[in-house]
Amino acid sequence: MSKILTVGSLSKIFPGQVALTDFDIEIEAGSTHALVGQNGSGKSTFIKILAGYHAPDPGAAAHIADQPLPLGDGRAAHGAGVRFVHQDLGIVDALSAVENISMGVGYTTNRWGRIRWTDDTARAVDALDDLGFTDIDVTVPVGSLAPSQRTAVAIARALIGWEDGANLLVLDEPTASLPGADVERLFAAIRRLKQRGVAILYVSHHLDEVFEIADEVTILRDGRRVTTVSTDAVDHEGLIELMIGHKLEKREATKRTAAAGEGGLRVRQLTGGTLLGADLDVGPGEIVGVAGITGSGREMIAPLITGQIPSDDGTVTVGQTPIPNYAPRAAIQAGMAFVPIDRATLGVLPLESVRTNITLADLRRHWRGGRLRHGDERAEAAELIETLSVKTPSTETAVAVLSGGNQQKVLFARSLRLTPQVLVLDDPTTGVDVGAKEEILQLIEQAAATGAAVLVASTDTDEIVRIAHRVVVMVDGRINDEVSGADMTAENIERAQLQTTKAGV
Amino acid sequence: MAAPAIDLDAADDTPQPSVWSRIGLDRFSGLYLLALFFVFFGFTEDNFLQWNGSIEFVLTEKVIVCMLALAFLVPMTTETFDLSIGHQMALSLVIVNKIALETDLPDMLGAVVAMLACLVVGALNGLIVVGFRVNSFIATLGMSQVVAAVIRRIHDRGQITAALGDDYVNFGKRDVFSFSWPGSGSEISLPYYFFYGLIVAVIVWFVLEHTPVGRHMFATGGNREAARLSGVKTDRLTWGSLVASSAIAGFAGLIYSWKFGTYGSTVGPPLLFPAVAAVFFGASQLRGRPNVWGTIIAVYTLAFGIKGIGLRYPREIDWMQPLFEGLTLIIAVGIASRQGIIKVRKRRVDVEHEPPPRSR
Repeated sequence: MSKILTVGSLSKIFPGQVALTDFDIEIEAGSTHALVGQNGSGKSTFIKILAGYHAPDPGAAAHIADQPLPLGDGRAAHGAGVRFVHQDLGIVDALSAVENISMGVGYTTNRWGRIRWTDDTARAVDALDDLGFTDIDVTVPVGSLAPSQRTAVAIARALIGWEDGANLLVLDEPTASLPGADVERLFAAIRRLKQRGVAILYVSHHLDEVFEIADEVTILRDGRRVTTVSTDAVDHEGLIELMIGHKLEKREATKRTAAAGEGGLRVRQLTGGTLLGADLDVGPGEIVGVAGITGSGREMIAPLITGQIPSDDGTVTVGQTPIPNYAPRAAIQAGMAFVPIDRATLGVLPLESVRTNITLADLRRHWRGGRLRHGDERAEAAELIETLSVKTPSTETAVAVLSGGNQQKVLFARSLRLTPQVLVLDDPTTGVDVGAKEEILQLIEQAAATGAAVLVASTDTDEIVRIAHRVVVMVDGRINDEVSGADMTAENIERAQLQTTKAGV
Repeated sequence: MAAPAIDLDAADDTPQPSVWSRIGLDRFSGLYLLALFFVFFGFTEDNFLQWNGSIEFVLTEKVIVCMLALAFLVPMTTETFDLSIGHQMALSLVIVNKIALETDLPDMLGAVVAMLACLVVGALNGLIVVGFRVNSFIATLGMSQVVAAVIRRIHDRGQITAALGDDYVNFGKRDVFSFSWPGSGSEISLPYYFFYGLIVAVIVWFVLEHTPVGRHMFATGGNREAARLSGVKTDRLTWGSLVASSAIAGFAGLIYSWKFGTYGSTVGPPLLFPAVAAVFFGASQLRGRPNVWGTIIAVYTLAFGIKGIGLRYPREIDWMQPLFEGLTLIIAVGIASRQGIIKVRKRRVDVEHEPPPRSR
């Protein structure tokens, strides 16, 4: 087979750090090639060099379809038929799908320069249809769409006008916020492209996806290519070992039943958005998972319980304290802590320090004698940074410069510091690398072990199975099923998620 | 998207702190500039270093701009603009003068009425911004015109002079201390209102930097929704910051009444620009975000610069002053934001590629 992309001798040294050392990769025409590695392994540097953000150090050579490709030149990469869908999607929330797509590929205009909206709309609808997303209202701001639909818009934009001379599509963490069924839709689209002979470079933290979609996988560790193997020749555990360089100390999943007791979280007839009424109890020390495809109500349950968005009906009780509707402050004061799903817009204060981000939810403990004791506060922040192994240069570093996983740990520090009775989490490990993910899951288990009632809504079925004592499955706005014990497997949960959806088709 | 979209080209710079930032030219550019003015104009202009010639004049006159700047700064921390502060200052000033002119009430009661009037305006600003969710920029811009109308209804044009009693004026104007500088004829003195202003500045500084309220205000400005979800009362803080802003603006009017003892229809609104400029210039100083002492440094740096230029080019100062103020603001903020960007870039690269978990 011919190679669509070959890169050799690629090094990149940032001041003080080596990001890539003599990296090479070869991608077969028409194949799907996965690139995996922990955060900091150099994979984002490679993608950025390919996209032209960084110039490589001298000596690197790259060819695309046997033509030399200058690296570090975004325009040349674009001209050579390489397209990117980056993790943050690069779409403007306030604009519609039509506008986002046209913004990327150019508006069609008549000879007076007036935009041909009908043509542009048709083009956007067609492109999304090709991806199997026929359910998107292309005229509303994309900010109001589901995460999966936003991803589809970004991919559609990358694909438009690209059929001729299409060579390589780079998908950087495209499924970061997609639930199972939507991932399948994305994969269907990828397979279609593959049949057309388009090669795909697929960057992901989700190893299951790698096995499902990729033909080959290249593993990066500490800026070097460890190896490239066929996905048939390696298994899940083997791949993790290659990524982290040693065996993962996989903790035996503790499947003890939760200690029964007073308190915990009590939810009755909670209604709002896609959620049509949920009853749920989580006891102290218990971890309850919530599974469901997007639109099943799963995505609404954590925001409604915590008061991030107003509910239409229903009650939430922490211990004996009823929580008023749409009142996160009251929830926190009653003993609830939570980490919102979108850490960038709902979680961190990006330009404030790690310290102020951690202590935000309770400053009273450092408020003594009429002023804030900054020294104490720094000491407490440093202690939490240590405990949660947040990788940050100092307590005073702005949170925005940390990696996603470390930002998430900062938010966990903010919540766990409150020693909550109830902890509500929404996709707690989105966009977090393997090592940090395991650490976060352990934090969740520790919180439960010390008596917190923990609710975890997640699109990552494996994650739920790994930590939850029982899992409720949402279908069409209601809790449709509950699994626990030996029945609690990813297969059972995914099947249960799709039950009525399938029956309806 | 809160994560700043930054390209990493500049990561190729050396990671060592540049000479520029090691001697503090970034965070203390205002102080350096101030020192430069003192050295240059001190040598070239005879009057510049005279206490009675320039220094006292600038120190006392600019207290008013400092107050207005603080009035702008307080809501700014919650990312709320108050553009009505100049008019509120004028409102306070016209009320205190009008009551003195046309009633037998004590002047100090007039001052209390003036402050109350400003608090009402601040509460209305808060109601419109928080209650009706009107963009603060628009809401307070509109409110400034409403206040302008009220001022004209109270006193239609023209000055009010000599209405205020001596007791009232002396409350602010008498000297705290006064002594002769040995070996020269200079009489060193500072009036009470200068220290009233200083007290306001210390209070604002303390609340912003050393109390949970201040921390919550900055959190609200940093990411309103994230702050709300962490239990911060973002609406109440926004409202409160607008009321505090009005109180400080009203107090600026009182200081004017103590210093000059008059009302003029052109007083107040023209000071909005220097006040806003000082807050943004000041945000490039010291801590790298809006802060009290940076703002005050900015006010005095600009003021002494203009004073020096005025002494050197007495006939040109009329057009040079706005030019100087405008350019200084743009350059200072331009340098600061450039360095902020580089800093974030460098740190981001540091963290991405070399993760030594160090807590200080």
